Amino acid sequence: MSDRRPDLAALGPALLIILCAAVGLRLDSYPQYVIAVAIISMLVGTALVVLVGLARCITLASGSIMAIGAYVSTLAVAQLRVPYLGTLALAILAGGAGGWVIAFLGTRFRGHNLAMVTLVFQSVSIILIRESRWLTGGAEGIHVPAPEIFGLAIATDRAFLIMIGIAVAVMTLIVTILVRGPFGKNLQAASGNEIAAEAFGVSVRGYLTAAFVVSSIAIAFAGALLAPRVRILDPDSFGVLESIFMLAYPIVGGMHAVWGGLIGGGGLRILPELLRPVADYQELFFATLVIFVVMFFPGGLTELIRRVVASKVKPTPPALAPVPAVPAAPTDRDETGPGGHELLLVESVDKHFDALHAVNDASLRVPARAIHGLIGPNGAGKTSLFNILSGFLAADAGRVTFAGTSLLELRPRDRIRLGITRTFQNVAVFGQLSCLDNVIIGLGRNAVLHAMGASFDHFARGAATRGAQRAALAALESVGLAAQAYSRAGSLSLGDQRRLELARAIVYHPRLILLDEPVSGLAESETEDLRELLLRINAERGIAMLVVEHNIPFVSRLCRSLSVMGGGRIVAEGKPADVISLPVVQQLYFGEQATS
Amino acid sequence: MMLAFDEINAKGGVCGRKLRLDFEHASSPAESVAAVKKLVEQDKVFILVLASGSTGAAAAADYVRQVGVPTYNLYGSTPIIREPFAKNVFHGAVVPVQVSAAALISMFYDGEYTPKKFGILAGTYAFPQATLKAAQDILGQKGATFTVEQFDIGARDFTSQLVSLQRQSVDSVLVLGSFSEAGFAIKQAREMGMANVRWVVDGSAVSTAIIPILGNADGIRGYYNAPAFPGQTPATREFEARLKKQLGSMPQGRPSVYDLIGYGSGYVVAEAIGATNCQLTRDNLINAWSNLKDAGPTRLDGLDITFPESYSPTDHQGVYRIGAAIVKDGQWQVYRVIDKP
Amino acid sequence: MLTELGFVVLAGIKFGALYALAALGLVVVHKATKTVNFAHGAFAMLGAFASFLIVVNWHWPYWAAYLLIPWAIGLIAAAMESVILRPLRQADMFTVVIATVFLGIAISEGFRLTYNTELLAVPSLFAGPPFIVAGVLITRDTLWVIAGALAAALACIALFSYGRFGRGMRAMAANIRGAQLCGYSIDRVYMLAWFLGGGLAGLTGVLIAPVTGVSIDLSIAIITAGFVAGVIGGFDSPKGAIVGGLLLGIAESVSAAYVSSAMKNCVSFLLLFLVLMWRPQGMFPERSGRSV
Repeated sequence: MSDRRPDLAALGPALLIILCAAVGLRLDSYPQYVIAVAIISMLVGTALVVLVGLARCITLASGSIMAIGAYVSTLAVAQLRVPYLGTLALAILAGGAGGWVIAFLGTRFRGHNLAMVTLVFQSVSIILIRESRWLTGGAEGIHVPAPEIFGLAIATDRAFLIMIGIAVAVMTLIVTILVRGPFGKNLQAASGNEIAAEAFGVSVRGYLTAAFVVSSIAIAFAGALLAPRVRILDPDSFGVLESIFMLAYPIVGGMHAVWGGLIGGGGLRILPELLRPVADYQELFFATLVIFVVMFFPGGLTELIRRVVASKVKPTPPALAPVPAVPAAPTDRDETGPGGHELLLVESVDKHFDALHAVNDASLRVPARAIHGLIGPNGAGKTSLFNILSGFLAADAGRVTFAGTSLLELRPRDRIRLGITRTFQNVAVFGQLSCLDNVIIGLGRNAVLHAMGASFDHFARGAATRGAQRAALAALESVGLAAQAYSRAGSLSLGDQRRLELARAIVYHPRLILLDEPVSGLAESETEDLRELLLRINAERGIAMLVVEHNIPFVSRLCRSLSVMGGGRIVAEGKPADVISLPVVQQLYFGEQATS
Repeated sequence: MMLAFDEINAKGGVCGRKLRLDFEHASSPAESVAAVKKLVEQDKVFILVLASGSTGAAAAADYVRQVGVPTYNLYGSTPIIREPFAKNVFHGAVVPVQVSAAALISMFYDGEYTPKKFGILAGTYAFPQATLKAAQDILGQKGATFTVEQFDIGARDFTSQLVSLQRQSVDSVLVLGSFSEAGFAIKQAREMGMANVRWVVDGSAVSTAIIPILGNADGIRGYYNAPAFPGQTPATREFEARLKKQLGSMPQGRPSVYDLIGYGSGYVVAEAIGATNCQLTRDNLINAWSNLKDAGPTRLDGLDITFPESYSPTDHQGVYRIGAAIVKDGQWQVYRVIDKP
Repeated sequence: MLTELGFVVLAGIKFGALYALAALGLVVVHKATKTVNFAHGAFAMLGAFASFLIVVNWHWPYWAAYLLIPWAIGLIAAAMESVILRPLRQADMFTVVIATVFLGIAISEGFRLTYNTELLAVPSLFAGPPFIVAGVLITRDTLWVIAGALAAALACIALFSYGRFGRGMRAMAANIRGAQLCGYSIDRVYMLAWFLGGGLAGLTGVLIAPVTGVSIDLSIAIITAGFVAGVIGGFDSPKGAIVGGLLLGIAESVSAAYVSSAMKNCVSFLLLFLVLMWRPQGMFPERSGRSV
């Protein structure tokens, strides 16, 4: 799939906008006005798809962000005599700043509380605008002067349509590129499964903040473009009710694709014009439409279209499970750190949950290239220890070092750089992304700004993008999922999803994988397949593994050494055959009677 | 206005043609611009009538000044619509805020009452703020002592504002807000023991709807943009009957002053068209309108329920007179007509 | 000076009691169904409108309004739950929020279209002279609103803590499967929760109608105040709703009097913001587990 052609599909939305503008140019003044305003709403819809659809944040602040863009641009032209294009840039900066403030205050929350923070921002902004009469004209509003671009006054509807068409098309193209590239994928991962995202270097708060900033930039830009069309800015046009109605754009149009924002924004904005004969019933119609769509067409119109198309297209045949022989990917790294053969060294780790001593002076070691198991009955403290190792729980005492580096102070998302990846007990693939995209995230190059740059590389199908895809495909092949590369991860069977998790965990060529109950929920044959797969990966790629499991036969045939935990302590350690027959271990699992 | 047009058309119309009224719904500036564009560019109306709120009218006004279509502003009182002067824009029965504010203040002196300390209770939204500014100017010129308290649109609890007014022992309060805000403010003031206060309310609060809020509203004054309140004279009673027949039912608070003005304005439009000697071009209409004197329903056999409107080429404000109204025995009545100060 | 403060605090308590009742309605629904009903304000508005119809239009006595309206609104709310919310049980939280928000808008618009008027005035209940305590005039109406709202709230809390259905609701909120195994039906418990929430909304509407009149802004004002009070008190705590409501009412009134009257709305949002920053789980959080 080394396609050198750029991602032309990304041009689609921008082209649609140009098309709408072109159609408008042949019409009269009034339709041109309507189309221009609709195009601006398409931009708002697109921005909200990013925030509401991809980032899954409810925002009630769109009105205030639009107001910020509109007022900043207008005041800059009127008071500071900045040329219009310059004020558009100022509006973008102001909008981005506003989005950043909301994110800074709100992204520690999710759901209702995040929506509340946006509501506070919305209300306080509008109140401030209304009260600052000396600056903004207060409730009476300010007059917006006609814009001038390079000396040319934009005063006719035709001129506005051209200007707005071009401006919105450019901004939409940028947003579309970001959405379709690694930025958009990582954002969906961050909002889809926060823990898995963090484990692979995706900073959830970073991405949510970026989503707020990007969408606010676009919305403020839309506000600045709209201002000269409405001629008078008053704070009450940007209230909470307007924010709520703007939320309807992605809901009705479709939340998961930029097209949804375009259709929803454009369509719903034109609705009042079409409903002029029954203008009074407008809001009621609007509200009922939204309820109807939400009840019967979740995901919006684009989702409906996608499902109809998908049902007509024949489904691809299921992937075959056999494991092809792949030449070993040699690792020429020195596997041993300063600690000799020990890769992972856990010393006297302690963890209390109030009165419960969950992990009590636990120590274990995982040598390089080893497969080490951690077993124990429920409540023994395995999960707590595991979470400490993977960074999701803080230890109270003890040391954990990996190739000489201490792990305890590191955040989960820093582990991937050291070469530690993990899988999850409750399979944590990013369901709405394709298998290929899931694995690409496993490559760990997921810092926000890097991902944004990579999105443009993705658009141009640059070398970096192709390299990442190749690595991901190779990883998928080694787990036998190459045929499913472009299927949605959420549509795979549980067994295949576990393989996918594995592919994601190995693509980086890590030195250690932490596996959390990898065969939980699998049938006997699938368990066998997975065991063979793990052994092969270990042999070919030299990756060490720490496996937490309940399935004793599986563990004893997979692992070369075991630690057994009971009551928070490590009660036994050694080769599986030896350890399992120890009386203390039998007692843990089967009670007093087994030993008597 | 439709009632007026129906009556005029029944008598043969103007210049042998019937008058038709197309209307579009609009409240926010964005909606107003869209609506106005549709009417002017799509429907190609001959005259545009602005009958919406202040900010909507302001947005539309900008557009009409540019396009030059004859425009009749019925209800907008804020300065943004009136400045800069445009020869195609005419302002009807609703007077500029300076005139209404002066009328309001003068009502404090009616009936040999001497106000000692003024209080102004004003909403923070567009319409009251414009009147507030004018009122503050006038009171400042008079050298009167006054204090200002503000409230959010739709406020229902005025405890803090009233407590402050009470603290400063005001005996004359001007309330600038809608009938619901004024009604609840006065009601609450009485519950708090503020007796012996003369209340004067803005024109938008002078409606029958304020009376049930208070129960007993006698003694409250306000200005009214017509010479008589509905029900006060035989002409207005006849109007009410005709309006009821046209609407089918009479909602609470109707006919309102806006109904009266709409009716009168319909006749003014007909007179202006007639004054062009039936040469129906925009320029002729504007010229004819700019020289209209005492236009109103009476010349065309309509009901005499509005102030007559007069225009000149440099002054497009049709009416400067305003009625002073008071609630007596549970009914509003206009007790004095204030001429141009 | 002290009498002034008295007036201000009294107004704060009056509105605070109403906010508390509104918040309680939200909390009841949230405790059982884990969703916030954003149409709650619209239900309250319907209740207020119904009291206008009963008292002003049909000239029935006031007690009839108090008796009938909570039941009527409760039934309407329960009906809405089964028609609109039931298909959305499996949907994510965002979808449910949107559905209730727009349901509220639809109801408000429906009201506006049937009765196109800015405000409908509803007469006060009591006509007698007010009481005077330390120079502060307390009208009978004010006393009634405060007493009525708080009494209703306490009764509701008792029902929730000790009644069979209250137990069912709490069980369902904690563990749906478990509660079902114990014999509680999801459908019935959810409908009952909405019925109770709707009833509280209706009661709020009847109490608030003489104070503010019936208008379309009522629905927004109540849901906003109720929600903020709920966040302050903690969405799973009925007594938190009461404390949150009273706190909000008093804070609004006091800051409007001594800081700035025009910024009244701002205050509730700032209070909300402060609570979110310092104690997002509210003043009376329910214990919740952690899972990775």
